Amino acid sequence: MSVINLEGIYTAYEGGEKAVIRDLSLHVDRGEYVVIGGPNSAGKTTLLESINGLIKITHGRATVCGLDVSFQADEVRKRVGYVIQNFYFDPFTPFTVEQVVMMGRYGRLGLMKRPTKDDYHAVKKAIHLVGIEDLARKTIGTCSGGQQQKAMIAHNIAKEPEVMMLDEPFSNLDFSAREYLQGVFKELVRTGVPILMVAHAFDGLPDIPIHLVVMNRGKIAHDLNCTAGEVECIIRKECGALDKC
Amino acid sequence: MLEPIIQNNVVCHALEAMIFASIACSILGVIISRMNLSSIGFTMSHAAFAGAAVGMFLGGNPQMAAIAFSMAVAALIGPVSDKAKMAADATLAVLFAMSMAIAIFLISYMEYMGHGLSASSLLFGDVISLYREEIYALAAVCILTIIFIMVFYKEITALMFNMKIAEAAGIRVKLVYYVLLFIIALSVALSLNIVGGLLIFVLLVTPASIAGQFCFNVKSMFVAAPLAALLVSAFGVWAGFEFTLPVAPLVALLLTGVFALSVVISFKRRINTKIH
Ligand SMILES: Nc1ncnc2c1ncn2[C@@H]1O[C@H](COP(=O)(O)OP(=O)(O)OP(=O)(O)O)[C@@H](O)[C@H]1O
Ligand SMILES: [Mg+2]
Repeated sequence: MSVINLEGIYTAYEGGEKAVIRDLSLHVDRGEYVVIGGPNSAGKTTLLESINGLIKITHGRATVCGLDVSFQADEVRKRVGYVIQNFYFDPFTPFTVEQVVMMGRYGRLGLMKRPTKDDYHAVKKAIHLVGIEDLARKTIGTCSGGQQQKAMIAHNIAKEPEVMMLDEPFSNLDFSAREYLQGVFKELVRTGVPILMVAHAFDGLPDIPIHLVVMNRGKIAHDLNCTAGEVECIIRKECGALDKC
Repeated sequence: MLEPIIQNNVVCHALEAMIFASIACSILGVIISRMNLSSIGFTMSHAAFAGAAVGMFLGGNPQMAAIAFSMAVAALIGPVSDKAKMAADATLAVLFAMSMAIAIFLISYMEYMGHGLSASSLLFGDVISLYREEIYALAAVCILTIIFIMVFYKEITALMFNMKIAEAAGIRVKLVYYVLLFIIALSVALSLNIVGGLLIFVLLVTPASIAGQFCFNVKSMFVAAPLAALLVSAFGVWAGFEFTLPVAPLVALLLTGVFALSVVISFKRRINTKIH
């Protein structure tokens, strides 16, 4: 069975006029690198948050890692990494980058359990992997936007998730950071962890088979396998910005 | 509890009560300031006020009714904000208005019927005439607060960092948040008789703000805030009895003074102007 199975799901926001995601089905297997693209307001963020149960699914069935999202959302979130699209940490936030990375493990640790040696080891490893050792002791609110984004990626890598979802994780990152982190994610995929990456820029995609999902108006417009080089043109077509293809 | 050290029973009770109230409120104050929940002070003080009015109206003990009513309101905060899809802050304001309406309604009605209601101890506090049970209750709530923070330290700090990120990490945010709101409300309700509803903010917000001037880290804030509150309020109780001054406002002024001083000397504000 696939790691992620969505069968005709609908998702609506409270008070919203109609469902944002309508009759959407998607299957993701172990070791897949999924790129999710499409115009603004297509429902990409909503799709990710339906997968980890942050938004309620109103109809249809969703299972992730063998768990039913509608009934075991807490359990699903312990196993699914999720780098959120927008965040802001004020300069007085009293937490260091290291502490924030450790928080990634809090959910799976469970209530009333304290971090053990293994947890500190995973945190150290994640910080090293993302390359932010020099920031470990810095308070997160005093880091630059890109540094904060790296910290949030490390937070989710330290979690050692079974699925990794990233919502425009590179929007503040420079070229070398993007390319380097794409390498990190490629390695993650190689170990079997599927990646779901929402993006608007596709430079530096790893040279591995891509499972491309193009969304538009709450539905999947294309669901296909392609190479890294083909991704941009397929998405441009859907967004009506073809002049560069 | 401090009787062997302090002969005077009244001073002794006042000191104990002040110590427990300031420790519980200032620890929770660190969370409150970070999560923008300081209106919980308003809401709980008025809930207690409304409870006292209900107690008088029904011919019971106003003090007990105040505590019971506050606990009921405390338990409502989380679920109401959830159902109404509002920030806890707005829920607190709605519950504040409701409590005030109940209180004023009943007080006006009783006045109309020729009964008076003395609410001054709820508004201004009264360290002189405390019951032994009240002090035990405060001690219990103080210990409960410390245990709660220690047991749920991970979850509480994650909530203080960012609720959405905490939820995405798989933390049971709602559960911890509801319990947190309830414990804050309970501490506030029990502290009201000591400092009163008008001064409760001094214990909730000022020690955390003092700690915030010096601490970069949340752990040190959880230690520094109650320490500052404890020292200042103990000194305030002593000075109040020694020089026959009203204790609660004196403690409030002293804490504010310490805050002002800490703003002036805080090294956090120092800007490094070195060129090399
Ligand atoms: N909290 C909310 N309440 C109501 N409607 C919402 C909410 N969040 C998003 N929506 C609506 O859901 C739709 C999909 O939004 P979503 O954030 O999933 O888009 P997206 O594909 O991630 O867009 P972008 O590329 O801009 O991030 C939009 O029409 C938006 O208005
Ligand atoms: Mg989005």
